[in-house]
Amino acid sequence: MAQQRSLVVGVSWANFQEERWRRDEAAIKEQLAKMGAQYVSTDAQSSAEKQLNDIDSLIARGVDALIILAWDKDAILPAVQKARAAGIPVVAYDRLIADPYAFYISFDNVEVGRQQARAVYQVRPKGNYVFILGSPTDPNADLLHQGQLEVLQPAINRGDIKVVGKQYTEGWRPEIAQRNMEQILAATRNQVDAVVASNDGTAGGVIAALAAVGLAGKVPVSGQDGDWPALNRVARGLQTVSVWKDARELGRRAAEIAVLLARGTRPDQIPGVQKFRVPGDPRGTVVNAVLLKPIPITRDNLHIVLEAGWITKEALCQGVSGPQAPAACR
Amino acid sequence: MEAMRSLEKGSRREIGFYSQNLFLLLVLGLLWGVFHLLTLGQPGKFLSPQNLWNLSVQTAVVAILVGGMVLVIVARQIDLSVGSLLGFTGMAMALLQAVPPIGEGWPWPLALLVGLALGAGAGLLQGYLIAYLGAPSFIVTMAGLLVFRNAAYLIAQGKTIGPLQDGFLVLGGGLQGSIGPFWSWVVTLLALGYTLGVVWRGRWLRQKHGLSVRPLWMDGLLSLFLVSVFGGFLWVMNSFPHPTTGQGRGIPVPVLVALGVLVFLHWLSQRTRFGRYVYAIGGNPEAALLAGIPVRRVQVLVFGLMGLLAALAGAVQAARLAFVPTGMGTLLELYVIAAAVVGGTSLAGGSGTILGAALGALIMSSLQNGLVLMGVPTEWQNLILGVVLVAAAVWNARFHRRRS
Amino acid sequence: MIPLLRAEEISLRFGGLQALDRVSFDLYEGEVHSLVGHNGAGKTTFIRVLSGVYTPQEGRILIRVGQELREVRFGSPRDAQRHGIETIHQNLALADNLDAVANVFLGRERVHRFSLDEEAMEAEARRVLERVGARLSSFRVPVHRLSGGQRQAVAIARALLFRARILIMDEPTAALGPGETARVKALIRSLREEGLGVILISHDLHDVFDLSDRITVMKGGRVVGTVRAQESNQEEILGMILAGERRG
Repeated sequence: MAQQRSLVVGVSWANFQEERWRRDEAAIKEQLAKMGAQYVSTDAQSSAEKQLNDIDSLIARGVDALIILAWDKDAILPAVQKARAAGIPVVAYDRLIADPYAFYISFDNVEVGRQQARAVYQVRPKGNYVFILGSPTDPNADLLHQGQLEVLQPAINRGDIKVVGKQYTEGWRPEIAQRNMEQILAATRNQVDAVVASNDGTAGGVIAALAAVGLAGKVPVSGQDGDWPALNRVARGLQTVSVWKDARELGRRAAEIAVLLARGTRPDQIPGVQKFRVPGDPRGTVVNAVLLKPIPITRDNLHIVLEAGWITKEALCQGVSGPQAPAACR
Repeated sequence: MEAMRSLEKGSRREIGFYSQNLFLLLVLGLLWGVFHLLTLGQPGKFLSPQNLWNLSVQTAVVAILVGGMVLVIVARQIDLSVGSLLGFTGMAMALLQAVPPIGEGWPWPLALLVGLALGAGAGLLQGYLIAYLGAPSFIVTMAGLLVFRNAAYLIAQGKTIGPLQDGFLVLGGGLQGSIGPFWSWVVTLLALGYTLGVVWRGRWLRQKHGLSVRPLWMDGLLSLFLVSVFGGFLWVMNSFPHPTTGQGRGIPVPVLVALGVLVFLHWLSQRTRFGRYVYAIGGNPEAALLAGIPVRRVQVLVFGLMGLLAALAGAVQAARLAFVPTGMGTLLELYVIAAAVVGGTSLAGGSGTILGAALGALIMSSLQNGLVLMGVPTEWQNLILGVVLVAAAVWNARFHRRRS
Repeated sequence: MIPLLRAEEISLRFGGLQALDRVSFDLYEGEVHSLVGHNGAGKTTFIRVLSGVYTPQEGRILIRVGQELREVRFGSPRDAQRHGIETIHQNLALADNLDAVANVFLGRERVHRFSLDEEAMEAEARRVLERVGARLSSFRVPVHRLSGGQRQAVAIARALLFRARILIMDEPTAALGPGETARVKALIRSLREEGLGVILISHDLHDVFDLSDRITVMKGGRVVGTVRAQESNQEEILGMILAGERRG
């Protein structure tokens, strides 16, 4: 059997600034090492132009596969075409790239949205709802909202739920979510019964706004990412759910798929593959995809993140005491 | 023979001098009126205690920064690192006070002091590079923008840091962050007394030196105006009820901090040698040098002050959110510069007032506040804000040209 | 009689350019001593040495202290001001965005417990401005809105406020109309009566002869010669300026 030379996988990050990508990187590196491949990376620092240059340089370095976390899903397309021309397989990491050549791996963001909505709906099936959405330029924001509406639309149609506020949050920034929520509360004179927030950062901003009018803990709020302050809020009863996507799982599977594709495996033979239709795409583009299932973390199943070593008990249970404490903190 | 003409009478000149700020006040009033009309049909209207209370807290962070930025721009410089420095110092203060294993668990006043020192130090460093080594402020502070943004990420290892200590959260407004009706009365009366004192004592001093004074009716009108503004402010703050006590909340702490900063900077810019030197350097750097003004030292201090204010604003922003994300403060510097420009500060240097910039900040904040209150989507908010900014810049440019 | 100021063999180089070459000059009380010459002759450069902006590589400056001449070194404009030398630069060195009071006191503001003593400064500024012949009822406008003559008055007032013994004026009437020029000339005469020494740079030879006691011609960084105004005339001076040497 011929000796397999060490494959090189290049990862083009969009903006390494955001919290979660560290964990993804660690997982990718670990899996690549396990499979005998090398890791190189670039950071586009939120610039679509820089990302195109980054990918050019990765191709020039002779990578055998590319994992791309696209900053701008449209601007990235020429880079994907270049990779295709060079015969380099592309894995679209977490953010969808509407090109059939790119193998999409993500958590099922629509499912994340559904889980967020379900958790809030369980607590408050009727009343005034607010949607604090993600960044208007991030396609994931709309995928999340799609899932949220799937769950809530019947109740909205019945009149059980009335949508009294809806705002996107530029850059997913918590300060902006806080201000928007404050204004929605002012506009409705605090007549808000539930808030569907699309991630933990914005959920934090929402909860700060609710706290200022004495509604924190009384109004269910959703989120995602499993960031530590958010999980602590779940333990304290301020936040209802944080949909957790084990980024390590995502990194691991993406690295595995990248290496398999580089070794010549056909996309439709990747374990767990399914066909995914790009939402809202006029051309009806369909990509090969692996969609991982997220886990909604509420006060009843906090032990999951503890057991996975995602967060320490001190950090999770800070400020949590008394009979109201969740099981995981006793 | 053409002798030196005597200049026009005092009162007309005074009005001319203040006309720019009066105009801003008019615009603000108009804006508020329009928004109130547009929100009459919904339960929460623009001129409600809750919304005005919101507005004051939402403006606080920018208000703390804008005064410092005015001095920077007047001195013919620019500071693009303000948002990143706010984020970096905010993150440092969060890490120092968060309970282990997240942070160091220091008492929050100590964390606050360290954060302020970091901000001042960073500002002084940038000032030194600009004033003594001669590097252009645009480049140095842009480098600062990149460095501090990444530093914030690095020290937190990319994580969101929280929760923060209860005492610290007072700085952010919220349930524990207001001073209550009694103290609001005390503060307002003291401030009103002081301001009226400045007006009338100034008048008495000028008369003592034999100088001309404003006509009595003008000072009387000004006093009446001040009483109504202070009174209105107090009434609004005391009318927003606290959900558990039912009493009025009073003035929020971040607003107090912002007002304190603005008052101090107004005094600094108008009534001290340092302030005079900043304007002289902005007007004619060579003349300042020839007059023996320590130009470089003043410039370093201007940046040091801006850094200190960035850290203070970072504390307020962190306390308001009750946690610190790594991207906190991103792009804020542009917003602050815009507020200064709307408030009449000329990017060419040499002119701009603290009062004007405060009004500029309030105008921009009112716009955002009102648009979201009405439920206008994000894209439209930004469009309208952009249009207003351009209109303000064009108007101020014409205003400056007409006056020269 | 001891002069107020004596400059001996002042030389100044900027890189490879010899800006001043062994320039000697003196000034007596109650005298107007003019400097004339082409553009680039070194007049303004020499003035800058006397006012502390430049430090010469060679030569020395002596100032009268009491009844004797003492050598001084000027490290900055403030040093020159401390010795009673006040300079009105060609561009007036005014901060255009500040008002007349602020400009008169620029760099030397009166302070009352950390705050600027605005009222005292305004009162004093008014007095000095009246002394130079301006009648102003309010001058809280930025000086860029004043006329050339008014700006000149502010610059002169600034110099006089701080008890100048020696007043250096670089082209004081260049930007003024005839009426304002006459005013400034009358002022220079009255300052001379008061005992000030005035160094005047002007390209207008008529004014130079009208005002001066002595005239020094410079060319190429050197002194061509010094004459008493009464003993000379415009043609001779012009000749000295052009030829770069003294005839006869």
